[in-house]
Amino acid sequence: MQNGETQRGELLRIRDLVVEYTSEGETIHAVNGVSLELKKGKTLGLLGETGAGKTTIAKSVMRILPETTSKINSGEIYLNGKDVLLLSEKKMRAIRGKSASMIFQDPMTALDPVRRVGEQIEEVIRLHNNTGKNEAQQWAMEMLETVGIKADRAREYPHQFSGGMKQRVVIAIALACKPELLLADEPTTALDVTIQAQILRMIEKLKKELDMSMLLITHDLGVVASQCDDVAVIYAGEILESGSREDIYDHPTHPYTRGLFDALPDINKEVRRLTPITGRMIDPTDLPKGCYFQPRCAYAKKSCRHERREMAEISPGHHCRCTHFA
Amino acid sequence: MATLLEIRNLKKYFQTPKGVLHAVDGISFSLEPGKTMGIVGESGCGKSTLGRTVIRLIDSSGGQIIFENKDVTFVRGRELKALRQKMQIIFQDPFASLNPRFTVERTIREALMLTKRYSRPEAMDETERLMELVGIDQRLRNSYPHELDGGRRQRVVIARALATGPRFVVGDEPVSALDVSIQAQIINLLQDLQEAMDLTYIFITHDLSAVKHISDVIGVMYLGQMVEICPSNEIFRSPLHPYTKALLSAIPSIDIHHQQESVILEGEIVSPINPKPGCRFSARCRYSQAKCGEPQSLEEIATDHFVFCSRAREIND
Ligand SMILES: Nc1ncnc2c1ncn2[C@@H]1O[C@H](COP(=O)(O)OP(=O)(O)O)[C@@H](O)[C@H]1O
Ligand SMILES: Nc1ncnc2c1ncn2[C@@H]1O[C@H](COP(=O)(O)OP(=O)(O)O)[C@@H](O)[C@H]1O
Ligand SMILES: [Mg+2]
Ligand SMILES: [Mg+2]
Repeated sequence: MQNGETQRGELLRIRDLVVEYTSEGETIHAVNGVSLELKKGKTLGLLGETGAGKTTIAKSVMRILPETTSKINSGEIYLNGKDVLLLSEKKMRAIRGKSASMIFQDPMTALDPVRRVGEQIEEVIRLHNNTGKNEAQQWAMEMLETVGIKADRAREYPHQFSGGMKQRVVIAIALACKPELLLADEPTTALDVTIQAQILRMIEKLKKELDMSMLLITHDLGVVASQCDDVAVIYAGEILESGSREDIYDHPTHPYTRGLFDALPDINKEVRRLTPITGRMIDPTDLPKGCYFQPRCAYAKKSCRHERREMAEISPGHHCRCTHFA
Repeated sequence: MATLLEIRNLKKYFQTPKGVLHAVDGISFSLEPGKTMGIVGESGCGKSTLGRTVIRLIDSSGGQIIFENKDVTFVRGRELKALRQKMQIIFQDPFASLNPRFTVERTIREALMLTKRYSRPEAMDETERLMELVGIDQRLRNSYPHELDGGRRQRVVIARALATGPRFVVGDEPVSALDVSIQAQIINLLQDLQEAMDLTYIFITHDLSAVKHISDVIGVMYLGQMVEICPSNEIFRSPLHPYTKALLSAIPSIDIHHQQESVILEGEIVSPINPKPGCRFSARCRYSQAKCGEPQSLEEIATDHFVFCSRAREIND
């Protein structure tokens, strides 16, 4: 696809994003040329393990990366056709919480421990809407009900809520102004499976009602299978494979994607040993010349050590950086 | 077969400002040598408390712990020290359980020296052997915990646990903090060690697929009680307790062509403070009836398959 603005039916398009951090004099190559497209009304799963760069990508979209220690080196992030990287901070403030909202794994990153939850929802409502105190209060209570919390709990403080309930409050704040885009960064990773099921069901329902699009960040293949239309697999700051959910689950093609599936214990099979991916994630301060997954790859050829591979379209809409299994 | 560990009506209560919290409330099971018992359940159901009580890290409030045919519920002093060497625990967060100022080599060596079974040079050799056993490169012997990744740290913790020559190891969510690809490495390691050293495990986790893989028997806990105990290959095939069914159905399947509707449990797990006598799950249970308000008992519904639910037979017909 050519460079440029969002295509029809696309809400978010990220092009060749490169992000670095500096820490103790070292450069951490967190995101190394990521391109993603999220269609309107759809859910795109960004699947990858710790340190892959998932959170950094979402924070880049929201423009909330740490100012002094991070740097977006290149790339474009089109939201509804506008490159958010070119917007002023003032314009960006109008977008955050209004057109695009982000929720994190730990609800306390978004909640103020010393303020009532109702007030915290009201705040975002009043920031983006011309509403009076009473109206905002009413709206906040409705939002609480929407996420399954009794409105009279608006007067309580975050610590009075369980982990699952806090995450509901965070979702109420994130969705209060009916954003078009929700960036959900491991929203249920810290929760028990039964609570995860409640929260995912609720997000799914609200997504439909608000006609929202979602970038769902997770390391959980089950969560992606149950929630996403499309999937992008990320490793060491690079998308290794992307396609529809069917492409990725029925025809996983990159050795890393296949390795992830193989490493999971299968509840329907009796196997004595699991098949781990050997070795560990590469050092993001010292990226290898060739394929980033090559040091752990059982199928690596000599050329994999030296040559970088571009994404290849192996079937319509299914892209992969490695053609060994294509 | 002989039993290595037998737990009889074990209880652990905590005094809290709101009342008595029944964290572990009358749990019984036994475990054969060389086998693994998996314990699953949501956070707060008492898994860690059970594990800690069983290995005598904390004192029980009632019941008995029989280890190697000996009642160890109240042993103290030298006997307790000897017991500690035979019963080890591995926690979820290897970083928190390692001394940040000790190198890999020192961490393991100090654990060896505590057993008083090794001279210094012997301990050095044994450290090297243990590092090899758990798959830590000798290059890393002088590394500190913060210089290691999560998987390697957990290997160090495992080596340290093995240093005392235990027969029984409790793993309290030992792989929960690790990435999928590394999880599989550590699970394989634990299984290899079990085979090589004839270890007996209690494996605590909230990850049901992992627990099925590693366990011979699985116990499902809810609010301090064991609501179901069965051979591990039966848990997914024929769960009998309504809570187990709900828990299993909440796991998102990776099979995109057979996405089952999960049974959404309303409400959340609460804490068992001054609990009423009846079934603790009944408030969230769709099969709840008047008789669920009476005390339940663990009944063998099918061979080796125990269920703590007075309606288990009717609802599984
Ligand atoms: N504030 C930061 N300062 C320095 N390095 C960071 C910072 N945030 C993230 N990183 C590093 O950037 C890489 C990508 O991190 P992150 O985006 O958080 O990955 P993920 O969300 O996939 O786990 C990692 O190597 C991480 O250690
Ligand atoms: N030292 C303690 N004092 C008071 N309550 C405790 C203590 N330790 C655990 N609990 C309570 O006991 C219950 C079981 O906790 P825990 O064993 O940690 O559960 P799990 O490991 O299954 O998450 C919880 O309600 C917890 O709050
Ligand atoms: Mg992250
Ligand atoms: Mg625990």
